[in-house]
Order: sequence, then C-alpha cells, then structure tokens
Amino acid sequence: MSKKKSRVSPMIKEVFAHIFMKPATCKYPFVKAEVPEGFRGKQVFDINLCASCGLCSRDCPAKAIEMVEVEGKRRPLFHLDQCIFCYQCAESCPRNAIKSSMFFELASTDKSNLVVKPEPSHQEKSGA
Amino acid sequence: MQARLSDKVQIQPAYLGKATIHVDAGLNRDVVRILLENDGNVGISAITGLDMGEKIGVMYHMRTDGLIVTVRTEVPKENPQIASITDLIPGANFHEREVADLFGIVFQGHPNPARLVLPDDWPANLYPLRKDAKLEEVTANVENCASCSAQHEPVQLQPQSEGKLVNIVVGPQHPALLEPEKFQIKVDGETVNDVEPRIGYVHRGVEKASEQRTYLQDVYLVERICGICNSCHAACFVETVEKIMSVEVPARAKYIRTIILELNRLHSHLLLLGHAGLEIGYETLFQYMWRDREPIMDLTEMLTGNRVISSAMTVGGVRRDLSETDVPKIKTRLEALMKKMDFYQKLYDSEPSFRMRTRKVGVLSKEDALRLCVVGPVARASGVNMDVRKDDPYEAYGEIPFKVITRTEGDTFARLQVRLDEITESINIIDYAVDHLPSGPYRIKVPRVVTAGEAVNRVEAPRGELFYYVKSNGTAYPERVKVRTPTFANIPAFIKTAIGGSIADVPANFVSLDPCFSCTDR
Repeated sequence: MSKKKSRVSPMIKEVFAHIFMKPATCKYPFVKAEVPEGFRGKQVFDINLCASCGLCSRDCPAKAIEMVEVEGKRRPLFHLDQCIFCYQCAESCPRNAIKSSMFFELASTDKSNLVVKPEPSHQEKSGA
Repeated sequence: MQARLSDKVQIQPAYLGKATIHVDAGLNRDVVRILLENDGNVGISAITGLDMGEKIGVMYHMRTDGLIVTVRTEVPKENPQIASITDLIPGANFHEREVADLFGIVFQGHPNPARLVLPDDWPANLYPLRKDAKLEEVTANVENCASCSAQHEPVQLQPQSEGKLVNIVVGPQHPALLEPEKFQIKVDGETVNDVEPRIGYVHRGVEKASEQRTYLQDVYLVERICGICNSCHAACFVETVEKIMSVEVPARAKYIRTIILELNRLHSHLLLLGHAGLEIGYETLFQYMWRDREPIMDLTEMLTGNRVISSAMTVGGVRRDLSETDVPKIKTRLEALMKKMDFYQKLYDSEPSFRMRTRKVGVLSKEDALRLCVVGPVARASGVNMDVRKDDPYEAYGEIPFKVITRTEGDTFARLQVRLDEITESINIIDYAVDHLPSGPYRIKVPRVVTAGEAVNRVEAPRGELFYYVKSNGTAYPERVKVRTPTFANIPAFIKTAIGGSIADVPANFVSLDPCFSCTDR
C-alpha cells in the first residue's frame, strides 16, 4: 500500500484542491487591474513648471521627446510610441515638470493618439 | 610566468581584473598554456576586440580561481592574424568566431571559422565594430542584399540524408522557444550524432549602438539586451562605469541593488522551471510555476515601477528608495513563495514522469564543464563551484551569508534542481538584506563625463556569469562596450550533451541550460 502511495504525484492533490479555489487570474478588463503607487505610466506634463531647457529631450534614450514651439517657447512633446517609460526625463527635469501617472491602457490603433502634447498654459490655468 | 617569459611579457597587477598581462601577438598561446599549467581549471570568460586606430587589440579575459586575468595583445589592422587558442581551451571557440565576425581578425588554426553572429550574406570586408565601419556602408549593403546573397550558397533548409545520417533543421523559427536560433541536428535513427548551432538571428548591434549614446542613456539600452535579466545587465554596466570613475556607491544603494537583483533571479528561475515543465510535456507544472512567479513580478513593480524592465539602476546608486512600508509586503510574499517551494521540492523528488524525462539526460561531466568554460547553474550542476557572488563579491553579497548550490550529477535534473535550491537561497538573501538595510542616501550625484579609463566587471545573472568591459575616452560617450552573456558561454555545453543522446531528449536537455538568444545575439 505504501509503495502505491508513493507513486501518486503530489500534483494530483494540488490540482484537486484548485477546483474549489478562486482562480489565480483576475477578470480584466471587467475588473480594473490595480497598479502600485509609483508605476511608470503615461506622462503628465505641467507646462507652468517647464523652463524650456530641453534636458528631457537631450537625455531621452529612445529619442521620444521632440521640442516643439508652443506660444513662442520650446516645450517637450512626448511620442509614446517610441517611449520606453524609463522616466529619465522626469529625473533630468530641473523643475519637476514631468510626472508619472498610473494610466497604462495605451493600446491604440492610431499613432497620432500616442502623443502627450504640451497644452498652452492658459488652458491649464482655466482647468485648475 | 615571469620566470619563463620575463623579457616578453609585462604584468600589470590589479588592472582589468586581478592582473593584465601584456604580450606580443605571437605569444598568446604560450601565455595561455602557462596559465593552464598553473591551474588546470582556467577558463575563458570572454575575448574582447578593441579598435585602437592602426592596431586592433585582442584581450583574453581568463578566469583563474574565480578572478579575471586579462591577456592583452595587439595585431595590425592591415593583416589581423593571431593564433587560435581553441585547441587549448575548447570554450574559446565561440568567442573567437564572434571577434572574427565583428573585427575581422583571422584566428589561425580555428577548427570552424564560419560566421556566427553576422548573417551569411553580410559583405566580406565590413567589420561592424571597427571604428571606420560607416553606417552608410551598412545601409548601402543592405539595399544591395540581393547581389551579396548571390555570392553565397543558399542555406540548406530541407531535411537531407548523408548516408544513414538524417539532417534535421530546428529553427530559425524554433518550435519550442520564442526566440530564433538554428540547430542542425544530425541523427542516426533516434540518436543525435552531431549538432551545428547558428545564432545571430536577432543581432541588434547593441555594442555598437552604445558607443553612440551617453553613459546615462546606455544604462537603459543595455538593460534591454535581455528582458528577463534586465537588472543584471544594468547593474553590471553601472558597476563597470563606477569602477572607471572610482565611485563608491552608498551602502543603502548596494543593499537595494542586491534585493532587486535577487528578485530578478527569483522570477527568472521560476520562469525557467515552469518552462522546463512545458518542454517535457508537463504543462500543469508550467501553469503553477508561473502563477507563483506573479507575486515576484508584483514586488518588482512595487519597488521599481515596472513589472519587467525595472530601470532601477543608475550610475551612483539606485533610482528609487525602498520605503519602510514596502518591507512587510516583501516579507509576506516571500514567505508564501517559500511554502510553495516545499511543494515543488516534493514534486521534484517524487513525480515519476518528471524524473524519467530528466534523470541521466544530457550529462555534462565536471571535466567537460571546465573545458567548455560553462557558467552559472549549468556549471554548478556539474560540480564546478563557481559563483561570482562568492568568488568576486559585488554589491552587498560580501556581507550576506548564503550557500553556493552545487550538485555532482550534471544531468538535466541536477541543472533544474540547482535552480530550485537557489530560489530558496535567494529568498533568504532578500530576507537578510531587508532586515539589515543600512540607512543613509540611496544615490550620489556623479558627473556625466566619465574619466578616461577601462574596466571589466562581472555579475552573477540568473543564467550565470555576465561579463562587461567598458572603455572610456574621457567624454560622455563610451569608446567600447563589450558584453558577454551567460548563454553565449553555455551553448557549447548543449552541443556536448546532446551528442549521443536521444532526439526526444533534446528539448528537455536544451531548456535546462536556460537559453536566452536575445542575450546571446545582443
């Protein structure tokens, strides 16, 4: 009897135990997946803090940041299709104008959706 | 050494590892032979080519007693020829072929000087890592690719019979692995007679690309050489740069790096052990292993901000501090994993189908492991006691007690069992590091311009010893970055162990090396 017992794989027990357990997977997208604090998601750019120094664009390893003219000043435009989400830009920024967000659902069928544009500052003020 | 070749060699202690030996090009074999006579366990870690203008430097990074000794020589660029050392150290085979591809050095007496990394239709006189290789030349050649491929014989992809041997081509689209590589397996009935590997299908030229980026950007570039051991690449690179700059990172940064590196090892080993289950036809094991890997990914995400690519390392420390509130979360998850490991150990000990597929399959003897210079868990499963964490401690490993797991069987089972035991060790290391986390700063500010100099560094990645060589010319851009990944050193072991085995054992045998071709090709 004992000989026969040793031939049964411990996996069998585990498999049967799982019939009565909650699934290990979550029901995404019906149940929203939670990401922890500090997740490196889509960038949030605050134009009011930006000093137009261009350090973010220079340090970007993926060359995903383009400096564009907004109301006469050079501001960063993030191409998210090239972005590798390392957040070196946020680290290089001397005025902390770039912050990360918990937004991660970036899949898109159109590349033009995948940019973070520097909005002109008056819009930012009216929103705030 | 000094006694026998005193007038011809120059020994520079504590440079590029334990010492650097400068010799003339003709004497490289003699030096290697003397090193072998002194210590039969000498292995080769890497061969680095270096464009020095008129000349090409060749550096043999040899491993003696767990430390690196660099043998350095130069050959003229017009006529770059040097004697091969593959007959002395069979493990040098792939290293020499790679340098031949990328620098155009002819290794005289090499048993198989065929291309390894570059495509077969790559133009004959274009060596990408030489400084005079222009991007325009490469693009022009890619456009005229039809004409260059005509010069070469088309690659034989059809099964072909040679006498009673049957040629089976596995790859480049590999049926089991998700990465491209090709193995031409010659079988006699069910028995494997010969294996001819070919890599380079995902060669991206990271070594060249890193010369065109700043050190700051290179940290993120080298991190992406391998998705699985990303932290190890980043850590190895930043440590090398810190060595050049003689920067001492704060103690807290060392401990946080250790924690992240061990989390990296945990998830890599769990991934492989699950994948091994898949390869031997045990998908339940695969599913459960990967389920239990998920909390480790969550921990990495919590500590660094991303599940896979952690981007935690930077020159001078780490990018994020570990907060007090994270500590209990780390502890509970690791405790849960530790309990699961007991279950897997029981499974490994008693599951008959698992034993049948892995025991005495692909046996690699200790002598062969040393001769072929294999690294990491593959070497440790064959009884070679080597672990960079112990031999040449980096980060906080010198202060943390842990065991180096070795086994003597050298078969597929031993290679998987070593990893299973290492998971337990890793959990203990993280536990210790979290408990003994020093206070203080977690990073220091370092200049962007790196002082001129060069350094080598090694890190024990999940797959084995990872080797970096960085040369700085005093600007913000590196002059040369050499990466030797663990799988590159371990492929010869697969050839050795597959020959004589059954064709049906090839997947189980192969997966036990934990191959990563994205790493290998760079």
